Amino acid sequence: MPAFAGKACSRLARALIFAGGLSILMAPVGVALAEVHLPPETIEADISTHEVAVETDFAGVHVIIFGAVANSRQRVAEDGLYDVVLVLQGPGERSTMRKKTHVAGIWINTDSETFEAIPSYYAVVSTRPLDEIADASELDKLGIGFRHLNFRPVRTLSPERAKEYETSIVRIKRSQNLYRIANVGVAFIASSLFRASVDLPANVSVGEFTVKAHLFREGRHLSSYSTTLDLSREGVERVIHSFAFDYPFLYGVLAVIVAVLAGLASTAIFKRR
Amino acid sequence: MQIYLPIAELSMNILLIFAMGGSVGFLSGVFGVGGGFLMTPLLIFSGIPPAVAVATEANQIVASSVSGAIAQWRRNNVDIKLGTVLLVGGVVGSVIGVQIVKLLRQLGQIDLIISLSYVSFLSIVGSLMLVESLNAIRKSRAGEKVSRRRAGQHTWMHGLPLKMRFPRSKLYISAIPPMVIGSVVGLLAAIMGVGGGFVMVPAMIYLLRVPTNVVVGTSLFQIMFVTAVTTVLQATQNQTVDALLALLLMSGGVIGAQLGVRAGQRLKGEQLRALLALLVLAVCARLGMTLVLEPNELYSFSRLAGGH
Repeated sequence: MPAFAGKACSRLARALIFAGGLSILMAPVGVALAEVHLPPETIEADISTHEVAVETDFAGVHVIIFGAVANSRQRVAEDGLYDVVLVLQGPGERSTMRKKTHVAGIWINTDSETFEAIPSYYAVVSTRPLDEIADASELDKLGIGFRHLNFRPVRTLSPERAKEYETSIVRIKRSQNLYRIANVGVAFIASSLFRASVDLPANVSVGEFTVKAHLFREGRHLSSYSTTLDLSREGVERVIHSFAFDYPFLYGVLAVIVAVLAGLASTAIFKRR
Repeated sequence: MQIYLPIAELSMNILLIFAMGGSVGFLSGVFGVGGGFLMTPLLIFSGIPPAVAVATEANQIVASSVSGAIAQWRRNNVDIKLGTVLLVGGVVGSVIGVQIVKLLRQLGQIDLIISLSYVSFLSIVGSLMLVESLNAIRKSRAGEKVSRRRAGQHTWMHGLPLKMRFPRSKLYISAIPPMVIGSVVGLLAAIMGVGGGFVMVPAMIYLLRVPTNVVVGTSLFQIMFVTAVTTVLQATQNQTVDALLALLLMSGGVIGAQLGVRAGQRLKGEQLRALLALLVLAVCARLGMTLVLEPNELYSFSRLAGGH
């Protein structure tokens, strides 16, 4: 059965050739499929300290935020494949915003609006300027940037009035270093590790801060992670503050007693001379 | 070294606070004035919220008036009965004043009213002091003796009811004028954070005809209690007393005052009073400027306590 065998052989050969050809043709598709199955990158972050004590000598604090990109595809930090945007936000405070106008020769508060939740602090820290990292629409979706802050006005405001007051809040907070956008605060220190240092100034209010880390690659948002940072009053400072607000009458009486004792002490000290 | 003030809610240099307490204490030692009318504007200039400045300053004055009142008491210069009548008025004034402060804070006008009160009082007191001291300088150069006005025997006040006898002051007058004077002082303590001696002393001398040797002691007696009551009321109603700031100011103030008293004995009165008058007018002008000049930032915001 040589003819038959030969036929079979040629059929096998043809099958082999076909398979080989197919595999050559399919090669790029295979690579693409393999990439889809690569585990997706995710971001994880943590803070050098989750609890910061505001004591009597509090002069602001540096917090270090560090984190890693899981399943990072860059070999070295210099590849610059990823962008990280960190958003720190302080607790919302109920505040009244007032506007002065010129009345009878002097400047008087004549207009005001109350807001339910003005974040005491808001900072955006990133690897590059935000507009280079992603489109505005992408950033908008994640609520990154001053214009996404919702101060929750008590009354319903007209769009012009809302804008007027909101921009003023941001301007004042920026002048106090409480709102800020730092374009180059985050740096990759290895293929997957990044770190950032953020300044909380001395005038920051206490409360729970949320810290969000967003990961981007080539303008696309990949992953987010959030954690908290607790700023609390400690020491003499905390004792005085909570005493003044929890037991105002006793606090007043004690303040008077301290003053009387100080007066008596000075009399006793300087009497002899 | 920075220190965080718990009620003012800001960080300040501890040495700066001592220096402020010390220099105002020095001036009050030299001139024998309370110093509240200089300290409160100074606190406001250094960024302390005005409402906290006035309440804290009332607390500090308690300390300085206690030591002053004790010294006067030892010399038997206090008319307790008259002081008590002044005090009753003072407490009424203080209660009203603290309520006014509370209301003005809600309206957002407290800073304005404190500044306006200071500008009007300091301009009047400063000008009067300047004129008086310049006259005294002129007279002493001309070699004249400063004549003292004789106390008048009868004024319209003798027609008022509720007459009381004040043996220590050798007075038989109606209780209404001292009560009114006392309540004005209480009002000033609450709204301006001053002892009010600069109003009470002239009023006692010229209106009530109280003998000059008991005027200072009696007014210190009243100031001590009125500022104590004001401190408790401000703490209860407004939570604006910064005890830590007050304590630091007191310690600076006590030392400054002792040095000031010694320096004052060696210095000439009229020229010093003219200098103090100029200082008062300068503080007044500085406060006035903040009202008149267009501020860099027209908007301001204040946190509302207890908000959620």
